[in-house]
Amino acid sequence: MEHQDKIKIAQEVLRLRLSQILVNDRYKKGDFKVPIHLALGHEAIAVAVSAIMEGKDQLVLTHRNIHYNLARAGSLKGELDEYYLKPQGLARGLLGSMNLDNDNRGVVYSSSILGNNLPVAAGLSLGNKVKSQESIVIVVTGDGAIEEGSFYESLVFLKSNGLSELIIIENNQWSLATRIEERRCPIDLAKFADSLGVRYEIFSSNNPFEYISKLADYRQWSLSNKAPVCVEVQLTTLGHWRMKTDGYPEGKFINYHAGPAPDVDSQKDYIFTSTKEDVVFVLREHFKKEEIEAMADRILSQLQKEIA
Amino acid sequence: MKYVEYINKLIKDEVLRADRMVIFGQNINAGSCLSGLTKNLKVKKGNLIINTPNCENSLVGIGFGAMMNGVSAAFMMKQQDFLLLGIDQLVNTYNIIRQRSAGEGSFTIMTIIVDNGYEGPQSRLNHFGDFCSIAGIQGFTITNTADAKEIISSQFNAPGFRIIGISQRLFKQEIMEMNVLSVSPDRSVFQYAQGKQATIICFNLSLPYGVVMAGRLKEKGLSASLFSVNSPVPVNWDELVHDINKTGTLILIDDLKSRNLASDNLLVKVLGHCTLKQKFIIRRRPEENVFSPHHDQMVIDYDHIVGQLATEWQGGLKSAEI
Ligand SMILES: Cc1ncc(C[n+]2csc(CCOP(=O)(O)OP(=O)(O)O)c2C)c(N)n1
Ligand SMILES: [Mg+2]
Repeated sequence: MEHQDKIKIAQEVLRLRLSQILVNDRYKKGDFKVPIHLALGHEAIAVAVSAIMEGKDQLVLTHRNIHYNLARAGSLKGELDEYYLKPQGLARGLLGSMNLDNDNRGVVYSSSILGNNLPVAAGLSLGNKVKSQESIVIVVTGDGAIEEGSFYESLVFLKSNGLSELIIIENNQWSLATRIEERRCPIDLAKFADSLGVRYEIFSSNNPFEYISKLADYRQWSLSNKAPVCVEVQLTTLGHWRMKTDGYPEGKFINYHAGPAPDVDSQKDYIFTSTKEDVVFVLREHFKKEEIEAMADRILSQLQKEIA
Repeated sequence: MKYVEYINKLIKDEVLRADRMVIFGQNINAGSCLSGLTKNLKVKKGNLIINTPNCENSLVGIGFGAMMNGVSAAFMMKQQDFLLLGIDQLVNTYNIIRQRSAGEGSFTIMTIIVDNGYEGPQSRLNHFGDFCSIAGIQGFTITNTADAKEIISSQFNAPGFRIIGISQRLFKQEIMEMNVLSVSPDRSVFQYAQGKQATIICFNLSLPYGVVMAGRLKEKGLSASLFSVNSPVPVNWDELVHDINKTGTLILIDDLKSRNLASDNLLVKVLGHCTLKQKFIIRRRPEENVFSPHHDQMVIDYDHIVGQLATEWQGGLKSAEI
């Protein structure tokens, strides 16, 4: 990948991160009436999905859609206005956060009902087949939503009907406040997909450059082979905090699910962990620290100007 | 005490007392425990508290199966909208097993009705009556200390199946302490006050509005009978009709967004059996039935209604004096 392209991608990652931090600042002040699910830590896959979308490709999202919407819209203002339910919002203030879509940029449907979007995406893929349209549907789901029967049913339908589709499973290990092992047996998605003859791939590096080149290949493969591809993305939703309660002198770990993240603030650092769980840390393997800082400073001030 | 704390306490007592109990649902024993609704549950040895996977249709079926096997099952739901995924079981399974004796088995679905507004187009359903009417399911809503106590103690573990709906908009409010004058044998109608000048009848989760209305009338020296219809499936209206005929004035409040309203059934009865001096039907206006994020609360012009009634009764008193 050319260095120039890498810079653009890194800037996108930082834009998504910083935009969310600015949303969080306002959220903490009590600005929004609608509930918002931030996706700090999910930036790499969102940047990659948006980067590989072409022509009439369609994106179908969930309750946690801020990262994809920011990536597709290319700006923060419209999304922020939507959260304020203003008529100039991305969806004219009619959808708020959990159902936010943006037809002009290929985000055709977002559902806050777990599993609800998967059959809809399969129907869109079916439509592409009927219209002989060479475009792909990309649907996002989570480790909690795949517990719904519609995940299984949709995959069976896609495979049975020779439909192209990318199914992105954002696996953060959590469904609200329960970790996988607190609510169910493990689901081996590789074996599960294999049992249906569906191609399965896994992302865990949090490396947006790798994600883009691989996803672009899967897109092409899915179209050429008229078959769906499941892509499990292992990631960490950042923004947790510790709540001091009896019996937890260190504070009890509270996983971030939705609402304002109390410890996240534009006055503080925009990198949260020094591990690959944080895509900004991963970027540091590709750029000098000062380069990232310079980019982040520039983007933050642009964003602040944009929403002033 | 807050509404949610009060209900949590009642459920805790029921669950702790129950034999062969399984209480289950998503996140019921993790994090905020459904905003406190299922906090600190404890069961007798061998009984189960389960954080389930996200699979509502199956969870409703599982509840029915457990009930058929003589167990007390309770499915606690974060949001009534998610019960839409269980409609097949609610209707097709229940329509068969309702015809058998459940024996000791019990199944209760307790669901939070997201009526606090601004949650968006897929979290706005307060159509409790529709869920019940689709298969003639017994259903009960809860708004205050009296109906909470009565409904939870008589229903939560009782043989057979029912749905109990509670209001998210009331969750963090102090629970209304109400004294009950009478409860119908099937717990569909609760009467809270006996008055002379008006009959206030509240449906679904609208009793808090009725309480305000009664208070405003009282300030003007007018007394009202106050009823809550907590159950959306067939209700015996006789007592209500009797009271309406005594006061001659009906104030009906129904917060349901459904187009299929139990309050219509009452109105049909009233049409045939009552002579009214005045009536005020307060329901969702079509333009209030919004599908975008919205405050979602009933907008009631209390002053207008109180003004109308005060004028009528002043006139009445004057003519009586002459
Ligand atoms: C049918 C349905 N059941 C329950 C919920 C409540 N709910 C909202 S988000 C969520 C967790 C979803 O987990 P996952 O799919 O892994 O997405 P994540 O929030 O982790 O990104 C749950 C249970 C819902 N929205 N829809
Ligand atoms: Mg998850």
